Amino acid sequence: MSAAPLRGGMPAVRAALPWLAVLLLALAWLGTDYALGKATLVATYAVAGLGVVVVVGQAGQIALGQAALVALGAYAQALLVARGVPAPLALPAAVAAGAIGGALASLPARRLGGLYFGMSTLAFALIVEEALARWESLTHGAAGLAVGAFAFAGWRADSTLAQAAVSVAALALALLACARLLASRHGRAWRAVRDDELAAAACGIDTDAAKMQAFVVGGALSGLAGGLYAHWIGFISPEQFGLVFSFELLMLAFIGGARRIAGAAWGALVIVAIPPLISVLRDRLPGDWARASGLELLLFGAVIVAVVLLRPAGLAGGGQGRER
Amino acid sequence: MLAFVQVLASGVAIGCVYGLVALSFVLIYKATETVSFMQGDLLMLGAFAALGLHAFAGWPLVVAAVAAVLGVGVLGAVLERTVLRRALGQPHLVAVLLTFGLGMMMRGGVASVPAAAQDMHRLPFAADTLAIGPLALATSHLWVIAATVLLAGLLAAFFRHTRTGLALRACSEDARSAALMGIPVARMHTLAWALGAALAAIAGLLLAPVTFVHLNMGFIALKAFPAAVLGGLTSLPGALVAGVFLGVAEALAGLALPEGAKDFVPYVLLMAALLLFPQGLGGGRGRA
Repeated sequence: MSAAPLRGGMPAVRAALPWLAVLLLALAWLGTDYALGKATLVATYAVAGLGVVVVVGQAGQIALGQAALVALGAYAQALLVARGVPAPLALPAAVAAGAIGGALASLPARRLGGLYFGMSTLAFALIVEEALARWESLTHGAAGLAVGAFAFAGWRADSTLAQAAVSVAALALALLACARLLASRHGRAWRAVRDDELAAAACGIDTDAAKMQAFVVGGALSGLAGGLYAHWIGFISPEQFGLVFSFELLMLAFIGGARRIAGAAWGALVIVAIPPLISVLRDRLPGDWARASGLELLLFGAVIVAVVLLRPAGLAGGGQGRER
Repeated sequence: MLAFVQVLASGVAIGCVYGLVALSFVLIYKATETVSFMQGDLLMLGAFAALGLHAFAGWPLVVAAVAAVLGVGVLGAVLERTVLRRALGQPHLVAVLLTFGLGMMMRGGVASVPAAAQDMHRLPFAADTLAIGPLALATSHLWVIAATVLLAGLLAAFFRHTRTGLALRACSEDARSAALMGIPVARMHTLAWALGAALAAIAGLLLAPVTFVHLNMGFIALKAFPAAVLGGLTSLPGALVAGVFLGVAEALAGLALPEGAKDFVPYVLLMAALLLFPQGLGGGRGRA
């Protein structure tokens, strides 16, 4: 299969066309503000999900705590901006926070691989969540932090249009960077490790280093998404970045078909669309059922199970072949 | 000194619960190579099933508890037959998402019952303390420890001395060879899930008098992952021992370290153990 569907030039334009259609439909149907707000969210989720796609889809490892890396990016951004650093200059710090987090989370399992990566990233995420809640002098604990608008040299991204533009630009840059990276020897090394670790090692690939690099790049992307997310939401607290968010990102990569980076955007669209669709469905239900507090959880779980059972290779995976 | 012994006892008791959940996780992982993220939800379901049968249907507590454990075990078998079987041989991600989704459905299902969603419930177990001289131990803790020892003995006997136990072990060692020896591997997978689910439900019943019954009691299963890893991921006794070790370490950390450090301890230990002892503390020579 082609390694990088988005390599710039014409294919990128063709890949963008269905998105233009989706955006126009959403604008006409949902109203400008709502649609642009959701577009911002979809693009930001897609950047965070891209991190999971790199780790899970390209390098074939498993990451169960990606939300913690988003949290590190978000807190780095929020704290720097609060101290007067312009938002675009704080973003590299958010990216670095995510990358360092990715390295730390995967370090203990680097020689074991497989499920152990899942365990160490999960443990790291739980430690980060707890630390953010406990380190009150810095993070204000569970009370959370307010984050100002994305501002730079007198310009503020206050309107939904400006926010959508910034996040779509970030997504485009991230996709471009990923496409270049995946076409390089790093990307080839990741896919070699995914498909057959022994053969990859025999070809002279440092498999431990390749896996670590995937986690670092994945963490950097999630950190970037966190930095932007903090501005869009305007308020961050530790419990936003819990286990459920981590699984949403996994689900996003899975739906998108973890092997193709463009899949991250489709997965983000589905993940962002699920909660509103569930609340629409819930309003249609008769009587007491609509008011039951567990219904959303039940339906969300059912969607996950249904997607996994119906399309084990993801929605954008073309239905062929198994993933690793 | 007295406080120390009391903290130790409660650490061992909560550690037994971690150990049982880790045991159920390892049992399923070994037999089917599937990662289950819903052991905590099965635990919660077991406790609520017993509560519902006792408090609302009016069954005697012992009957309700046995029925709840059997019911959750049957649920595990049914889920394996219908859904989880599809994750066999697939990458871990499929099983992880599938079980997480199923767990969400269980939590959502219980939360949809208005009487269950409200707040904490308690099973009418003995809530008093046992005084040995100046030492006061919670009877619920002693119950948990005694039940875990009994259960471990029963499981050991099952795996050593019954044909089914031997067949299950053979499946865990090498499914292909087991199939060639005439062992019905598919049926063993169903059995492993039933046993794993029932064990989680038992852990829920044991936890009920300690933390009460509430919707989020299943989060305790997150501590079972460190226990499973410390035990080497494939060793049943290792998982149980590591669970008790974690419970004690956590209790002592609560005594010695500042507030809040207690919640980090299992995860820090997990990462340290992976870094220093990649084969698990048992040295990777785990047996069933």
